[in-house]
Amino acid sequence: MTSTTTQLKISAFLAYKSIAKGNKGTSVLTILIMALAFVNLMFMSSLFTGLTDASENQVIETLYSNIVIEPKDEETYIKNPDSILKKVNIVPGVLGTSAQYLTASTIVHEEKSGAWTVRSVDPDDEVLVSAIPEMMIAGEYLSKYDRGEIVIGKEIAGGHGGSLEHISLGGVVVGDTLEVAFKNGVRREYRIKGIFDTNFIQSNQLAYITEKEMESVLGTSDMTSQILVKTEGKGGEDKYVEQFTMLGVHEDIKTWEVYAGIVRTVSQSFAAINALISVIGLFVAGITIFIVIYVSTVSKRRQMGILRAIGIKESIIIQSYVFQAVFYALCGCIAGLIVMFMVLVPYFIRYPLVFPTGDVTLVVEQNNAISRGAGLIVAAMIAGFIPSWRAVRETILDAIWGD
Amino acid sequence: MRRSLMRSGVIKMTKMEQDTIITIRNLSRTYIMGTMQVPALNRVTLDIRRGEFATIMGKSGSGKSTLLHQLGLLDTPTEGEIVIDGVEISGLSESERTRFRLEKFGYVFQEYAILPELTALENVYLPVMALGMSQDECATKGMDALKKVGLDGRANHRPRELSGGEQQRVAIARAIINKPKILFADEPTANLDSVSSRQILKLFRALNRDIGQTILMVTHELEDEEFVDRVIWLTDGEVVEREG
Repeated sequence: MTSTTTQLKISAFLAYKSIAKGNKGTSVLTILIMALAFVNLMFMSSLFTGLTDASENQVIETLYSNIVIEPKDEETYIKNPDSILKKVNIVPGVLGTSAQYLTASTIVHEEKSGAWTVRSVDPDDEVLVSAIPEMMIAGEYLSKYDRGEIVIGKEIAGGHGGSLEHISLGGVVVGDTLEVAFKNGVRREYRIKGIFDTNFIQSNQLAYITEKEMESVLGTSDMTSQILVKTEGKGGEDKYVEQFTMLGVHEDIKTWEVYAGIVRTVSQSFAAINALISVIGLFVAGITIFIVIYVSTVSKRRQMGILRAIGIKESIIIQSYVFQAVFYALCGCIAGLIVMFMVLVPYFIRYPLVFPTGDVTLVVEQNNAISRGAGLIVAAMIAGFIPSWRAVRETILDAIWGD
Repeated sequence: MRRSLMRSGVIKMTKMEQDTIITIRNLSRTYIMGTMQVPALNRVTLDIRRGEFATIMGKSGSGKSTLLHQLGLLDTPTEGEIVIDGVEISGLSESERTRFRLEKFGYVFQEYAILPELTALENVYLPVMALGMSQDECATKGMDALKKVGLDGRANHRPRELSGGEQQRVAIARAIINKPKILFADEPTANLDSVSSRQILKLFRALNRDIGQTILMVTHELEDEEFVDRVIWLTDGEVVEREG
């Protein structure tokens, strides 16, 4: 019998000739449709990945850094924060730490007021763990020895097109004076030194004063609510947590993922939507290939009959159509990747989508691209097989001389 | 039984049997059209000898193409026996029939049944490619076959660049490339002008005379008779013979 190699050789030969010498317009159009199908599959998943990625980065860069060390369950403050900071800072891969004190407060400006969280920080440490110092839209960030000055997010300030304008202070500016009523009953006036915008609704509702200022409010020093730890990269935080524990840090150590609960819920919902869209996208791509191959088999019905008449096996004919379908899908994937990387990704980097969770760009993950490309090729194989298989089922006489 | 013993060599074929390449016994083909049964062939019994150039003639609807299709394994008879080159055809599976067609038959159809995407040479060597020959062997054999039909100078031309007669000669080159036991031709000159038709028939005659090619041709042109050894005349699915 005809060997498998010979079969594949003839199938590939017929497929190649059909594509190379066939109608160029049809081939280009089919590849274009496949490219669009691939972009469709990639675009939504890349957008969802970008959205998730942006949200996670916001949590890390503007709220909790990579790791948060908190007091044990039964305690309100971290004991011996300096000792902990020493232990943590010697671990390779730790890029910075910042001890913070958090307190609820009421901030008042003229007739407007609201309840927000005030964080006290050492600005020199804070720049190592947070991106907020680089996100000032007015004024500047705190300096280590600042007293009587406050930095606030744009959702507190108002007047910058925030989502919570109605509960903001209505458009305060740098230099305005705010009255802050702390949880312990102390009331102080602060001059606004700067206003920041993180593009993240949650961190834009924070206010910052210096550690020294907070010590004077509380009347004591060394009060730490949490220590933020910045590490290299994202996603490998668990190994640092293990090392901190081994070094004798017995506080409650959490990674940013614990605080990104809402982001994770949203991500899971996106994953479900994405899966649904992908299935529909693959189905549409499969149907497209099916129609292209079906039309081809109908128009080449007689040729297929002749090939069978002269002794070419049906499996060779089917394989040649499957090869054509795979070729179209492969070219579509390549063209789609070119469109993604050369057009869409650069475009969204230049003009990101603005979400309450941050600026969103397209994030193309390698695994995503491979799985979607593979899905498209499998869909093309099935869509190439079915019409050609149906076509070779009719008798040779019907194929050559039928209606 | 006798056939299989013959194939295994237990029983030797007679001289007559050795000379016969196709044996047809009581061959019938009835088509079902709705609730109607339409007999196309009616108990045809016939022998075709090796090296014979025979033509099947008859009026339209007489069953000549149907007979050729049964012998060429393009269709399955309703009943009867066909033995080709010592092999009883009814015992072959579909894949064996395909292989049989590839190895033992050559076909020339009424329409220029060649693939438009392939060059003349590629069209010609497709059958030997399917037999597993290398690219070089295919090209060499293809060129030899094209030379036999006088088209070696047009090897790299695609069908649309060839005249009708040239396309039919490409089909003939494809049909003879694997040195088939039998060449079947179904009204090969029906779409050609008289000059091209005579060229094709002369080519068949030359192949038959020079390499002893067995040819079974269907035609409705009475003047084609002058080129053949034997005319098998069909009337209403039954055979009436006369020598050419």
